[in-house]
Amino acid sequence: MGVPYIPVIGLVGTDLLKRRDDMIVAPDPFDGKTLSVVAKAMRPDVAVFHAHKADRAGNISMGYHVDAVMLAEASHHVIVTAEEIVDRLTEKEAVATFIPSILVDTVVHAPFGAHPAGLEGRYRPDREHMQRYVVASRDDASFAEYLQTHVFDVGSHEEYVERFVAQELQSARVA
Amino acid sequence: MTLPEQYNDSELIAILMSREVRDGEISACGALSQIPATGLLLAKALHAPNAELIILNTVFRPFHTSRQFHFLAQRGELDLFFASGVQIDRRGNYNLHHLGSDPDHPRVRFPGGYGGGLIYYCARRTVVFRTEHTRRSLVERVDFISAAGSSDPNVLRLGNPTKVITPKAIFRFDKEAGSLRLDTIHAPYTLDDIRENTGFDLGVTGPVATTPPPSAEELRALRTVVRPQMIETGTYGTWAEKTLGVV
Repeated sequence: MGVPYIPVIGLVGTDLLKRRDDMIVAPDPFDGKTLSVVAKAMRPDVAVFHAHKADRAGNISMGYHVDAVMLAEASHHVIVTAEEIVDRLTEKEAVATFIPSILVDTVVHAPFGAHPAGLEGRYRPDREHMQRYVVASRDDASFAEYLQTHVFDVGSHEEYVERFVAQELQSARVA
Repeated sequence: MTLPEQYNDSELIAILMSREVRDGEISACGALSQIPATGLLLAKALHAPNAELIILNTVFRPFHTSRQFHFLAQRGELDLFFASGVQIDRRGNYNLHHLGSDPDHPRVRFPGGYGGGLIYYCARRTVVFRTEHTRRSLVERVDFISAAGSSDPNVLRLGNPTKVITPKAIFRFDKEAGSLRLDTIHAPYTLDDIRENTGFDLGVTGPVATTPPPSAEELRALRTVVRPQMIETGTYGTWAEKTLGVV
């Protein structure tokens, strides 16, 4: 959208409004009296998300994840990791959820880039890993240990996939 | 001879919620909403075959984006929404954020979110439920207002809370007074039970009717139509398997 603010019906009288400075109660500019919430636009510096497919020009096909389009439009810089990179997205591939290259700064080839989450139509979530993540995130010490093992001590994305994405999940991936 | 029907609290609340769904309307519930999802599917199986259902994060959703759901509600096209709060108060406010008086140091923190506070203003009717009817859940004043029951006439608002459903009773929201009033009591509870377990004035002025109990037809559809449907479609399937029909 890219508009500076947007009216929202609701939230008046909640304690949420007391704790946020990006939402205020304001009168309708046309009748001068009817009140509703006006929310300030969020403009993230950088958005990072994982896509089904990208092409060499930076066009992105996102499957069902239509909300990513809004995120790409709002953000100043957009980095997309893609399950697969092709030379050129076909017309057919560009009709579902399409993000034009003009919005995208960087594309990174990263198969299993959604892991341990799943990617609709390609592979299911790694529930066992998710469980470990939930347990690890209960306190700072165990979460630091999780990060050390799965992020800082891993040399590359290929090494991550090799070590942490089970063979069974890898072979079940839909091309 | 048949024995009196037995049912658990989740089944009871789902059945009472299903009675709020009207045929031909658009009715919805949010994520993590096993009981409302059950109520919606039950209504469709019984009296509302042409109801449009939106059960977020399941196969029962007409679209894939939060943007479309947001603007459907903002346009005023949502007829009924099911919500829940950890605390619900006399003014129809509910709290889904945290307990304790200091928001920076809460005793307990809950999922929160802003969606409920929006939809409370947008859906024509919102029915709030709580699986616990005690003085800690039904309070005079919630610790934090996540969704506001009433508002000034000059505030743009398309709809209101209409009812609160618990395992013991149903409250009706009096829009003029901006407060809840005890509507009906589920057997076998008495007015004294409700008074003892509710943290606010019940607004009772005369005799209070008994809630029509789940009928044999409602229980049958719940257990033989909705339960397998939920399991087959992965709509809170594990929950349905463990809960519906288990008394």
